[in-house]
Amino acid sequence: MSNTPLIAVVDDDEAVRDALLGLLQVEGLRALGYPSAGGFLIDFATRTFNCLITDVRMPGMGGLELQCCLIAMGSSIPVIFVTSAEDDATLAQATAAGAAGFFNKPLATGEFLRCLRAVLGPLDD
Amino acid sequence: MVATNQCAREIQRHDGACWAFDISEARDLIEAVSAGNRPQGWSKALLSRLRVVEANANAVHLFGSYAGRERMLGQSLLDFWPMEGWHVLPGLIVGTVTGNPRSRARKLRVKSLVLRNPVLTAWMSDEPGLEQRLFLAIFAEPLDERSFWALRASQERYNNLIHHLPFAFLEVDSRAQADIFEDLRRRGLKDVGAYLDANPGDIQRSCEIVRITDVNKSAVELFGAHHASELIGPVDPLFAASPESARRVMINHFEGARSYSEVMKLRTMDGRLLDVSMSVIYPTRPEQLDITLIMLEDITERLRTEAQLRQLQSDYTRAARISMLGELASSIAHEVNQPLSAIRTYAETSLRWLSREEPNLEKVVQLTGRISDNARHAGEIVHRIRGMTARHVPRSASLDLNEVVDEALHFVRHEIETRSIDLSVRLGRELPPIWGDRVQLQQVVVNLLLNAVQAIQSGSENSGSIELTTDLDERGAVTLNIRDDGPGVAEGDLDRVFQSFFTTKDEGMGIGLAICQSIIAAHGGAIGASNWPGGGARFWFSLPAHR
Repeated sequence: MSNTPLIAVVDDDEAVRDALLGLLQVEGLRALGYPSAGGFLIDFATRTFNCLITDVRMPGMGGLELQCCLIAMGSSIPVIFVTSAEDDATLAQATAAGAAGFFNKPLATGEFLRCLRAVLGPLDD
Repeated sequence: MVATNQCAREIQRHDGACWAFDISEARDLIEAVSAGNRPQGWSKALLSRLRVVEANANAVHLFGSYAGRERMLGQSLLDFWPMEGWHVLPGLIVGTVTGNPRSRARKLRVKSLVLRNPVLTAWMSDEPGLEQRLFLAIFAEPLDERSFWALRASQERYNNLIHHLPFAFLEVDSRAQADIFEDLRRRGLKDVGAYLDANPGDIQRSCEIVRITDVNKSAVELFGAHHASELIGPVDPLFAASPESARRVMINHFEGARSYSEVMKLRTMDGRLLDVSMSVIYPTRPEQLDITLIMLEDITERLRTEAQLRQLQSDYTRAARISMLGELASSIAHEVNQPLSAIRTYAETSLRWLSREEPNLEKVVQLTGRISDNARHAGEIVHRIRGMTARHVPRSASLDLNEVVDEALHFVRHEIETRSIDLSVRLGRELPPIWGDRVQLQQVVVNLLLNAVQAIQSGSENSGSIELTTDLDERGAVTLNIRDDGPGVAEGDLDRVFQSFFTTKDEGMGIGLAICQSIIAAHGGAIGASNWPGGGARFWFSLPAHR
């Protein structure tokens, strides 16, 4: 059981978060949802996550900040961004910090799942 | 014609006030009285049957109306002779008419406030053709020469004034109606409004028995008439387009009001419909003149201009709303994008559940429900946007300012969050309701919030904070404060910041704050801006509580 990958979904919008969790479920993946970066970080201390899917613009700590935070903590957890922010600066910063994927809303499901599988690939049975 | 000239000559001879009366209508009564037959009310009846055929200048000045000599001709003696002088006349007249010789003048000393030792003289003429003419004259030494002339001059001035004032004046005789009211009062009537509702015919009758007796030049113009004589008569045409006004004028008359005003519709003689401001001044002591004065002012243009202004204001306000929404475009896109994104993901997930060997219909049902919820949510966002852009007829209602703030926050939340601005909202508890238009007040709050966001953006810092509070002030008004920690407003600009087209932004149009001020003013409130001692600006508005 502990070998099954665990994915974190962080988005302050309940509908988007719930929909993503539903998608991951039908794909047979384990996932937990968090309405804030802070909430996720608390759990991050005690669980092992294999991938983080996060929004960019959120009240309090945003997605890019969260990414930096994780890097500063020495974590190499892959981060995939799913966001409404379509500006180049955000994309550039995310990429420069080593994002594993960057997707705009509404989410292109096929591409997103391919990216996710690639990230989790080495861990798949 | 001959008689007229002779009459005129006869009275012009006189130094005092002199009239020539036609007594043909009163002949029978005079003969009867002289024969000893005195029917009930004969003296008043006799006086009422004497008609003026001539009057000299002094006579007109002494007892005439400001319409002058023309007005006096044809009137009965009772129409203009002061009541205190009635009692001496019948005896004098009967004696003169039936006495012998008729040309012997009979004199009486009478009393007067204005004249000294006045003498009333009555006589008839022996000239052929003047058999039906009775002459009456009053001669007196004035209290002093100056005061009599002063009185005449003052009367001239009054006449001139009334005639040339740019307002329409109607002189109205409502004595007959006053008598009816007196009678009703004696019978115990208290609620004349209810009485008139039960007897609507009385209102119509009043309009017929109350008479316009004189008008000035402006009144002739207002009514689109060619001559004052067209307006002399029952007061009915005045209320033709506004019968309810007649009722209200009557009620105020009954209740002893000194004056009454209202705005009403008036139909002119050439068929136009005007809006007029009507003021009625009722006859009451101390004047005892029994003259009701009605003043009319044509305010049709003013009302039309006001209506146009209101429409312009509405259009302007709407333009500001649309412009503001333009600034919020990316916020709106983001807000609609969330449910849209959820819908897409739910749909794709449903397809995956359906394409399994054993499709999980329960899951699909659940997800489809969520799709529906999100679609409805997206619809609500669109509806809200539409509400802001639509042509809006201001509709006032009892509102909770905190709710308005909540709704306004929906519009700007994204703007605030994307710029890492800390927003703290402290809503006062149990605030009294305010009376106002929801859309317009939302517009003000959104505008002030956007202003704060843009102020912070224009500053050198990358982040900032906005504090919004609602509260009750010392005077019980409901207030809203928005404080930002941006660079503040330049001191020199503080008093101009609400002016139209004032802006410090490159692409700003500068109409937002001006509209805010006009909306708040229209709601009976106040709006202002100041700089915070610790830096940043504070915008506030207050609105009266609606209880």
